[in-house]
Amino acid sequence: MIYFDNAATTYPKPYSVAAAVSSAVTGLGGNPGRSGHAMSVRAAEQVFKVRSLCAKMFGAEPENVVFTQNCTHALNLAIKGIMSEPGHITISSMEHNSVSRPVFALKKRGVSFSVAEVSESDEQTVENFARLITPETRCVACTIASNVTGRILPYKQIAQLCRKHGICFIADGAQACGVIPLSMADGFNFLCTAGHKGLYGPTGTGLLISDGKYKLQSIIEGGTGTTSDELFQPDFLPERLESGTLNTVGIMGLGEGIKHVMRLGEQRIYKKETMLCELFIKRLENNPMIVIYRQKGCLYVPIVSFNCKGMPSSQLSQKLNDAGFALRGGLQCAALAHRQLQTSDGGTVRFSPSVFNSEREVIAICNAINRICANIKTVG
Amino acid sequence: MTGIIAMSSITYAMKAKRILNGAGFYCEVERTPKNLSSGCGYSIRVKGDIDKIIGILKNNGINYKDYITLAS
Repeated sequence: MIYFDNAATTYPKPYSVAAAVSSAVTGLGGNPGRSGHAMSVRAAEQVFKVRSLCAKMFGAEPENVVFTQNCTHALNLAIKGIMSEPGHITISSMEHNSVSRPVFALKKRGVSFSVAEVSESDEQTVENFARLITPETRCVACTIASNVTGRILPYKQIAQLCRKHGICFIADGAQACGVIPLSMADGFNFLCTAGHKGLYGPTGTGLLISDGKYKLQSIIEGGTGTTSDELFQPDFLPERLESGTLNTVGIMGLGEGIKHVMRLGEQRIYKKETMLCELFIKRLENNPMIVIYRQKGCLYVPIVSFNCKGMPSSQLSQKLNDAGFALRGGLQCAALAHRQLQTSDGGTVRFSPSVFNSEREVIAICNAINRICANIKTVG
Repeated sequence: MTGIIAMSSITYAMKAKRILNGAGFYCEVERTPKNLSSGCGYSIRVKGDIDKIIGILKNNGINYKDYITLAS
């Protein structure tokens, strides 16, 4: 099987990630931050090292790095933590359900929301966000890059807009972290990301990173290993948002995944994967049966959404699976993005390479897609 | 002089250890003794001029709860 579903989760993982996970299972037995014995303290030291590494990668302080289960978990903590009282929040028209569903759920608590259209021009997109700001607006939550098309939003300009209006900016970096160099200095108040995608960690890992400006209400309370004689949740990070035993095994794997990205560098990873996407597009764009969801002049992370005319995306992805290629068809958990693309009916097939894919593999899948299209023509 | 400084969290204890080790102070993380703070928590056991060490922690924005000096 040739794997092109790296926007869902990267595979394969670097060998060092597997080795770190194995080593943690067998050798890092203590519960970090819970006991005073040497095994517990050693586990806590290793967790802190990874926390510090994450902080270094994204220009944050270690205590402002919160380990989560995934990006959805991080986004829920940030969005619901900021909008704990009635107010207004704006999101973009290209959001994953991990942003749109928490925001929609908050309607019951008196939170209203608006959707800013992502236009062909970045200036227009920023203007669309600006127009929706009201005196009640407390937050903008939006993706840095769409998980459907890969379109990069003008996140630095949106951050500037938020700063100008004193609004909290929560960014979904699930598809951007690991391929675009990102820093809290870009203007994020909260950066949420998965650990298992572009950061090459194991599934079950994610990050919520704060710049320290805003305090979040907790949505999960419990044991933190500190101030245990008090019934209220600690008011400091990361413990405020890290109740319960941490995923030490996953965190150790994530640390090695981040080292892998740091060794290669995001720019090199972006260049390699973008080259593979460009090859993919070049091999398919002259096929009249193929629709590619990209606009000229726009910037993209290495993701390409496409369809084959006359065939639902689920059927095309199944045929590709039968031919030995793993891609995701359907709506990719992004209802709003597909509404904007007018693909809500059947969705799209998403091609998302990793740094481990080769040009030969891309040529092979393009040949397979062209063969499938030719068969539709013949059958038709 | 040896001192025990009760930290607000294990994360701050680890950060304090890293900073103090970097500044040339011996430092270890341990459970906070009962006579220093109630409830669970972590402290750093340090050797050196305690006032200077507290100053370093303050300069680096490290939250600590309380401290005691030992007679050693």
